[in-house]
Amino acid sequence: MNSHFQSAVVSISVTVVAVGIAMAFVLVVLAMMGHAPTTVMSMWLEGSAGNGTRFAMSLQAAGPLLFTGLAAAVAFRCGVWNIGGEGQFLLGAMTMVACGTVMIPPGPAWCALPIACLLASAVAASWALLATVAERWRGAPIVLSTILLNFIAVAVVGMLVEGPLHDPNTTAPQTASMVEHLRLPILVDGTKLHLGVMVGMLAAIGLFIIARWTMIGFEVRVVGLNARAAAVVGIPVWSRQVLVMAVSGGLAGLGGAMQVSGVSGMLSGTSVSYGYAGIAVAMLGRLHPLGIIAAALFMGMLSTGARHLEGRLGIPRDMGDVVQGVVVIAVLVGSMLATQRFMRPAQEP
Amino acid sequence: MINESLFIIVVAQAVTAAVPLVLAGVGELTAQRAGILNVGIEGLLLTGCIGGFVAATISGNGMIGVGVAMLAAMALASLFAWATVMMRADQMVTGMAINLLAVGGSGTAWMLAQAHGYAHMPVEAGFTRGIVPWISPETQQWLSSWPIIGPIIFDQYGLTIVVGLFTLAVWWLLRRTRAGIIIQAIGENPDSCAMVGIHVRQWRCGLIMVAGACAGLAGAYLSLMRTHGFSPLMSGGMGFIILALVIFARWQVGGLIAVCLGFGLVDATQSLLQGSGMNQVVPYQLFQALPFIVAFSALLIFRRGQHGPATLGQVWPSTIK
Amino acid sequence: MLSLSAISKRFGSVSAVVDVSLTCAAGQVHGLLGENGAGKSTLMNILFGLVTPDAGSIALAGKSVRVFSPHQAQRLGIAMVHQHFALVPILSVVDNIILALDDKLGFADRAKWSQRLRQRAASLHWDINPQAVVGTLAIGQQQRVEILKALLGLDQASNMGAVAKILILDEPTAVLTEQEVDELLPAIRRLASDGVAVLYISHKLDEVARVCDVVTVLRRGRVVHHGTANTPPAQLAALMIGAAIEKPQRTASPAPDSAMSPVIIKNLCLCATNGRVELDDINLNIRAGEIVAIAGVEGNGQSALVEVLLGQRVPTSGSVHGVGSPTQLGYIPDDRHRDALVLSLSLRDNLVLKQYRSLPFSWHGWLSLRQWTVAAKRLISAYDVRALNVFVPVVTLSGGNQQKAVIARELSSQPSIIIAVNPTRGLDIAAATSVLKRLIAARDAGAAVLLIHHDLDEIMSITDRLLVMHEGQLTDTNWPASNRAQISQLMLGHVAGAAT
Repeated sequence: MNSHFQSAVVSISVTVVAVGIAMAFVLVVLAMMGHAPTTVMSMWLEGSAGNGTRFAMSLQAAGPLLFTGLAAAVAFRCGVWNIGGEGQFLLGAMTMVACGTVMIPPGPAWCALPIACLLASAVAASWALLATVAERWRGAPIVLSTILLNFIAVAVVGMLVEGPLHDPNTTAPQTASMVEHLRLPILVDGTKLHLGVMVGMLAAIGLFIIARWTMIGFEVRVVGLNARAAAVVGIPVWSRQVLVMAVSGGLAGLGGAMQVSGVSGMLSGTSVSYGYAGIAVAMLGRLHPLGIIAAALFMGMLSTGARHLEGRLGIPRDMGDVVQGVVVIAVLVGSMLATQRFMRPAQEP
Repeated sequence: MINESLFIIVVAQAVTAAVPLVLAGVGELTAQRAGILNVGIEGLLLTGCIGGFVAATISGNGMIGVGVAMLAAMALASLFAWATVMMRADQMVTGMAINLLAVGGSGTAWMLAQAHGYAHMPVEAGFTRGIVPWISPETQQWLSSWPIIGPIIFDQYGLTIVVGLFTLAVWWLLRRTRAGIIIQAIGENPDSCAMVGIHVRQWRCGLIMVAGACAGLAGAYLSLMRTHGFSPLMSGGMGFIILALVIFARWQVGGLIAVCLGFGLVDATQSLLQGSGMNQVVPYQLFQALPFIVAFSALLIFRRGQHGPATLGQVWPSTIK
Repeated sequence: MLSLSAISKRFGSVSAVVDVSLTCAAGQVHGLLGENGAGKSTLMNILFGLVTPDAGSIALAGKSVRVFSPHQAQRLGIAMVHQHFALVPILSVVDNIILALDDKLGFADRAKWSQRLRQRAASLHWDINPQAVVGTLAIGQQQRVEILKALLGLDQASNMGAVAKILILDEPTAVLTEQEVDELLPAIRRLASDGVAVLYISHKLDEVARVCDVVTVLRRGRVVHHGTANTPPAQLAALMIGAAIEKPQRTASPAPDSAMSPVIIKNLCLCATNGRVELDDINLNIRAGEIVAIAGVEGNGQSALVEVLLGQRVPTSGSVHGVGSPTQLGYIPDDRHRDALVLSLSLRDNLVLKQYRSLPFSWHGWLSLRQWTVAAKRLISAYDVRALNVFVPVVTLSGGNQQKAVIARELSSQPSIIIAVNPTRGLDIAAATSVLKRLIAARDAGAAVLLIHHDLDEIMSITDRLLVMHEGQLTDTNWPASNRAQISQLMLGHVAGAAT
C-alpha cells in the first residue's frame, strides 16, 4: 500500500503548492494595484469564513460547484470530455422550476421532491447524451459538441423563461416562484445553506466508494486510461462511456435543480457559469471525489470572499475567476512535474 | 433589382462577419496542423476585445489598441504554450483554464476601466469603414460605389484586405514552402521531426503565439471596429464556433474561407430576418442560438473516420526521457 | 575515418555503455552485434547526437568532435537509418527529403529535390517515385527512401566540407522479407565501395557474415569481441549471449485432437470501407493442442484477421466459430502498450484485468482487493516478473517485464484459445526463449494456439503448422516438408514451389 500512500501525498502536496502559487500570483497583482497582501488575505478569510454565517454562505456557494465538479470529474476519469456542465446544470434548474411552477401539482414534499430531482437529472442526462450520440453516429468530438450544446441550452432556457415559464406579474425575464413544497429545507437559519449541499457531499462519498470498491468504478477507470486495452479484455467500452455521460449530465442537472430549489426558488435569464467553474473544481480536486469536496469548498470560499473584497476594497470579484484559471494551470503543470519525478518509465538503454 | 441589392448587402455583411472567423480560424488551423488544440481561443478573442478596448480608450488611438490587443492575447497564449508545450500539461484542460483566466481578467479590467471613467471609447479611437486607414474619404467613397465588389470588398473595415492577404500567404506557406512541410510533419510525427533537427517545441510555441496574435487581432476587430465598445463576454462563444469550423473545413485553408463565408451568410441572413419583424414571431433566443445550432450541425455533417493531424491535442514527447 | 574511444554512459544506476572503443574505416562495413540491451542503440544514439556520453571522445578523420544533436551529426557527415523509420507517412517522398535536408524555410523546390533523389536512386539501381505518398509505400520501399535520405544528407554534408561519410544502419532487415534482404545487402556493399563507412547494427549472424568486413560484439555495454566477419557464427552467438542459452526445441505436439477444433474459420472475407479486400476467402481450423503459425510480410492482412477473430470487426462474409468471450481467450497483442496494459495502473490491477469479474476477485459487483494482491503476488513469482512490489505502476517496469506481465495474465487462466502476435518483439534472447516455452507449455496443456510472428526462425522452432499470408490470402506451406526458400517465395506471393 506504500505507493498508494505516496501518490496521495504527492498529489495533495502538488495541489496545495499550486493553490499557494495561484494565490501568491493574485496577491502580487493586487499589491501592484495598491492593496496590501495582508489586508487582502485577512479580509478574504473574514469574508469567507469569518463567522458561522459567512462560512455557511461559503458552503452554500460550494454546493453547485460540488455537483458540477463531480460531473466533470466522473466524465474526465473515463476519458469523456464533457465540457457541457453549464448547459446540463441550467436544464436541470429549468426542469426543477418547471416542476415547481407548472408541471407538478402540489403534494407531499417527501414524494414530490425526489420525483422532481429525478426528472431534472433525466432531462440534463439526455441533453448530455446528445453529444455521445453525435460522437457515435458522426464522430463529432465530444469536447466541442458539449460546448456548443451549452450555448444552445442557454438559448432554450432563455426562451422558456421568457415564454411558457414566465412570471406574468413582472416584465423582468424571470420565472414565477416555485411552490413551497418543492423547496429544499434550509439547514442554518439566516442563511441559504440548504439540504442540497449535504446531498452533494453524500454523492461525492458514494462516488468515491463506487470508484474504489466496485467493478463498475474499476472498469470506468480502465476505459479512461486505455480504452483499447479495455475493449481487448472484454470491458464494454461504449456502454461504460454512455453510462458515465448520463451520470455526469445527471449530476450537473441535479446540481442545477438543488440550486434553484434551495436558493432562489426561481430562474432568471442570467448565465451562472457554474458549469465551467466545475471543470476547475474537478482539476483542483484531482478528479478524486473527496478531493472535489475540498476543492468545491475552496472555490466557494473564493467566491464569497471575493464578493466581500469587492464590497470592502473595491476589488472586482472577477479576480476570483482569475484565481481559478491560474490554479488549474498550476495544478496541471505541478502534476506533470510530479509525474516526471515519481512515475518515471523504466530506463531502457 | 431590390432583390439583387439586398443580396449584395447580405453578402457584404457576410464578409464583415466572416473576417474575425477567418483570421482567428487560420491561426487556429495552422496550430492544429502542428498538433496544437487550443480550446482557449475563446479566451484569447476575449482578451483581444478587452485589451484593444482599454488601450484604445486610454490612448485615444485605435492602432495602439490593435497592438495592445495582439500583445495581450499573445501573453495569454504564451502561458498556454509554456504549460502545454514546455510543461506537457493537457491541452484541453489548459485551454479551458485559459478561458476562465480570460473571463476573470477581462471582467476585472472592465470593472476597473468603468471605475476610472474609461467605460466609453472616444469616437476617434474606433475604426470606420475604409479599405486602409489613411485613405481619403473621397477615394473611399468612390471605391465603395463600384458595383458589387464595392460594398463587398471595399466598403469593409481596413482589416478585411489584410486578412485576405494573410490567409493567402498562409495557404501558400502550407502548400509550397518547407515551413509548411515542417508544420504538417510536426503535427503528424513530431518524433521524426526532432530526429532531423527540427525544434518541435519552438515551432509549436511559435505557432501558438501566432495563433494568439491572430485571435487578439480578431478580438480587436470585434471591439474596435464592429461595435466600438466592450461588454462582458462579448466574444460570446465565437472561439468555440471557430473550432467547429476548422474541423468542418478539414484543416484546409481554402475550405476554412468557404466555411467561414457560409457561416457569415447565415449570420447576415439571421440579422436581416431579425430586423425585418421576424422577431415578433420567433423568439430572439433562437436567433442567438442559430450560430451554435449551425456549428453543431456542421460537426454532424463532418464525415466519420476523417481524422485531423495524428497528434492533435496530444502531449509531446509522450514519454519522459 | 571514425573512431570512438572509451565511451561510457550511465542511465541512473544502469551502465548502458562502458568504456567502448571502436574504429570504422571508409569503404568498410562494420558489424555491431549484440542482444537487446547490450548497448548498441545507446552507442549509436551517442554517435548521432541523441544522447550525450558521460565520458569518452569521438573523432572523425583524426579530428576530435562533439556531437550534440542529430542535425549537427548530419552536418559532420554522419547519417542514420533508424529501425523505426523517421518518415512522415502523410507526406510525399520528396517532401520527406525536403523536410530533413533542406535548410531554408521558404519555397520548397520539389523539382530540384526530385531530380537529386532520382539520380541517387539510379546509382543504387533503385527506382523511386518522388511524388508517392510515403504511407502508401511498402515497408521495403520506405526503407529505400530512408536510405536515400541518409545518402543525400551525406552528399550534402560533403559538399559543405564534411570529411566523413558514415552511414549507420540500425537493424535494417528487421522488417524486410528475405527477398528484400537479398536486394538490400548488395546495395550496402555498393555503398561501401563508393567510400562510405557503414556501421551495420544487427543481431542476425548470417547477415553480418554476408555483408560485413569486421565485427564488434557488445555485451552488457562492453566490447567483448572485435575481429573479422568470418568468425564462426556459433562463437559470435556465444559471445553475444554470454552463456549458451537453451533454445526451445521443436517437439511435435503430443496429440492434436482432430475432433476438437476450438477455432473454425470458414470462407472468411473482409473488405475495407474503401472496397479494398483485406481478407480473401480464409479457411482455417486450429485444433486443440497445436500451434498454427502465420508468417508473412507485415500489412498483408494479419492484423485484420486478428481484429476479426477478436470480434472488433465484422467480416464481410464467411464465419468464425469458437472465439467467444475475451475471458476464454489468451491474447498477446503486438503492441502491449496500446492493447494490453494500462500503464498508469498498478501491476496488480493489470494482472487481474481479465479475471476481476469472477470469484474470488469480486462478489456481486464489489471488488475483493485483498484477493487481487494475493493472486498478483502468485503470478509475478510464477512468471518471473521483476518488480519492486505489485503496487508499482506498470509504466515503471522494463519492456521485458511488461511483456511477462501480459503473458502471466493471458495464459494463467488456461484459455482454450491463444492468439499471440509477435510475442517476442523487443525482448532479448533469454526473455524471448521463455515466452516461446510458455506457448509450447500452453499447447501441451491442450490449448489451440495461433501465432502470428515476424521471425521465421522462432516460428520454425516451435510451430506445428506453418501458413503464409499474402495480400489477404492464406496458403499452407505443408511445413515441415517445405524449406525456407519456398516459404519466403510464398511470403512474396510467388505461388511456385511449395503450394497446396
